[in-house]
Amino acid sequence: MSNSSSMPAQAKSLKHAGEDIWKNRTEKVNAELFTLTYGAIVSQLCTDYERNFQKVNEQLYSMGYNIGVRLIEDFLARTALPRCENMVSTSEVVSKCAFKIFLNITPQITNWSHEKDAFSLILVENPLSDFVELPMDAMKQLWYSNILCGVLRGALEMVQLDCDVWFISDVLRGDPQTELRIKLNKVLKDEIPIGED
Amino acid sequence: MTSKMAGDTRSHTNPEQDGMTEQQKLQHQLQVFQNSLPKVNQIAFQMLLNEMVPLAVSVENKLINSEIKGTPKRNSSELEEMITNVHITAPLDKPSHKLCQQLYEANDGTREKILERLRSMGNQIGNKLTELLVFSNNPNLVFKDMDLLSVMKFICRDVWKQFYGKQIDNLKTNHRGTFYLLDYEYRPIQTFALDDQSTEEELAMIKPFFEIPVGLIKGVLSSLGYKEEEVVCMASYIDRPTDRPKSTFNKGVSFHVQVNMQ
Repeated sequence: MSNSSSMPAQAKSLKHAGEDIWKNRTEKVNAELFTLTYGAIVSQLCTDYERNFQKVNEQLYSMGYNIGVRLIEDFLARTALPRCENMVSTSEVVSKCAFKIFLNITPQITNWSHEKDAFSLILVENPLSDFVELPMDAMKQLWYSNILCGVLRGALEMVQLDCDVWFISDVLRGDPQTELRIKLNKVLKDEIPIGED
Repeated sequence: MTSKMAGDTRSHTNPEQDGMTEQQKLQHQLQVFQNSLPKVNQIAFQMLLNEMVPLAVSVENKLINSEIKGTPKRNSSELEEMITNVHITAPLDKPSHKLCQQLYEANDGTREKILERLRSMGNQIGNKLTELLVFSNNPNLVFKDMDLLSVMKFICRDVWKQFYGKQIDNLKTNHRGTFYLLDYEYRPIQTFALDDQSTEEELAMIKPFFEIPVGLIKGVLSSLGYKEEEVVCMASYIDRPTDRPKSTFNKGVSFHVQVNMQ
C-alpha cells in the first residue's frame, strides 16, 4: 500500500530517464526513412501473400517477435531498470521508456482491466504509419503496425511476462484512435535446473 | 551559433569569400532542417532492416507450405476467422538465426527467390528514398542535367549517409558505365562478430544481407531514369585496406554497378 504514494514520483523519474536516454545517448535516424522502409516491407508481404491480409498480419507479428526478443537486451542495457513488480509499473516502463527510446513517442495508458492485468496503449502518433493510407480491401483486415504487437510480446516474454498483445483499433482503418491492448497471461517461473526437486 | 552569425556578417564585406559563405550558409540551413525532422532510434531501424533477411526466408517457407496443402485451405477459412476473432496468436516463426541458417542451406532455386524478394524490397525503398532526398533542400543536389557520375556520387554521399549513417568509402569508375562502390564498414553487418578466423561458411551466410543495398542502388537509379534492365548490380567481399582502423568485421563490401546505356 505504501507503494501507491511513491508511484507518481517513480513514474516521473521513468519519464525523465526515458527522455534523457533519447536525448543524449541515442543515435537517431530520419523517421521518414523508417516509415518508408517499413512500408516497403508491408507492401512486399501483401504482394507475396496475394493480399491475404490475415497472413500478412501473422507474418508481421512473427517478425516483430523475433525483433523483440533481441531488442529487450539493448533496452535493459541502456536503461538498467530493475524487474517490474506489477503490470502497472510495466505499463509505465513500456510507455515512458521503451516507446520513448525507440520511437520517440509516449503512448497514453488507459482502460485498465479490473484485475489490473490488462491495459491499453493509445498511440496518438505512430512513426510506422505516417503518411500511410490503406487501400479499400486492406482497410477491413490489415493491422498495418502489427509488428509492434510482436515486438512487445517478444520483449515481455524475455522478462518472464507471458502476454497477449493485439490491436483493438487503428486510425488507418477509420477508427477514432489507435489502441493497442496488452494482457498478461501469466508470469513465467524462473527455471530451476533439472534434479532440484 | 552566435559566433557563426558574426562570421557571416563580417565576410559580407569581403566579396571573395562571399560564395564560400553562401555555400556554408546553405549547408548550415540543410543541417538545421535535417535536425528538425522527426527521428527514431537508429537501433530500431537497424533491427528492422536486418530482420528483412529472415523475413524473406519465412515468407518463402509459408508460400511453399500453402502450395503443398493446396485447396483444403479454403475450407478452413471460416475456422481461421473464428481464431482471429478470439485473438489466438498464430504459431511463431523459427528464430531469426535458424532462418538465416536455412537460407544458407537452401537450394539455388529457393535461394534465388528469397534474394529476389530482398532486392525487391530494397528497390521499393530506393525508389521512395530518392523522393525524400530530392525534397531535402540539399544545396549540393542539382537534378537537372544530372549525368551518371553525379548520380553515383549522389548514391555514395546522400543515399548512403541517410541510410547507413556514413558515406561510401571509395568510388571507382572507368567512365564507361562501370562503377565500384567500396564500403569498408558496411553498417548492418558490423555487429556480426567475426574474427580473423571467419570461415568461408560464415561469410557466405552473411552475404544475403547485401541484397537489400543492391536493390536500393537499383531503385535509386531507376527512379532517376536508369531503367532496371539497363543496370546490373552485384555485391562481393573485399579485403579492408591495412591502414584502416581495426573493426569487428574484417571484410569490406564492394558493390559493382554496371550501367549499359543504349
